[in-house]
Amino acid sequence: MAKLKIRRNPTRRYEAVYIVDSAIEDAAILEKLDKLQSLLNLAAPAEIEHWGRRQLAYKIGRHETGYYAIARFETAPAVLPEFERALKLDDGIIRYLISLAEHELGAPKLTDEELASRRRAGDDDDDDED
Amino acid sequence: MRRQKKPCPITEAGIRYVDYKDDRLLARFITDYGKILPSRLSGVDARHQRQLSKAVKKARFLALLPYVKGQTG
Repeated sequence: MAKLKIRRNPTRRYEAVYIVDSAIEDAAILEKLDKLQSLLNLAAPAEIEHWGRRQLAYKIGRHETGYYAIARFETAPAVLPEFERALKLDDGIIRYLISLAEHELGAPKLTDEELASRRRAGDDDDDDED
Repeated sequence: MRRQKKPCPITEAGIRYVDYKDDRLLARFITDYGKILPSRLSGVDARHQRQLSKAVKKARFLALLPYVKGQTG
């Protein structure tokens, strides 16, 4: 049953969140992200989502706000250590997190009927005691 | 007198995989001090609780959620 999966495709999907120093101007931030992203030499350009400036939940060093940007891309794992080194060395990047974004490979999303049947199974009380 | 099991709020919401970037969702499953709410209180099923726990920890690292809430100084 548990068949050994041979990975034909050596690349994996990643999602990176960057927190950029919000003191930097917008144009410079975009340029910085572009430059960093170009280090990856991606086959397909990364899909970048900008959250913009946001209050941090706690102070990171002297920073209370940060510019959030999320990049999704597909790359070979081997290029990441070098990329992370560049991120660490960049003073404009307050923090970053690169994680695998392959969750959609799991079972498909529950359909409405499945949800309804689950609801029926354990419905009756709707008490929220806490 | 067994209490009826609550339906899992995350399954109910139709969420397959808990996203660490969704701080609004995650905030519902932490206590006033910022601790992860036990599934026994929230009714979250085991699979989603595991995802939730990872997601909260990632969100904390990214300063989307506090490690400790209501802290002074």
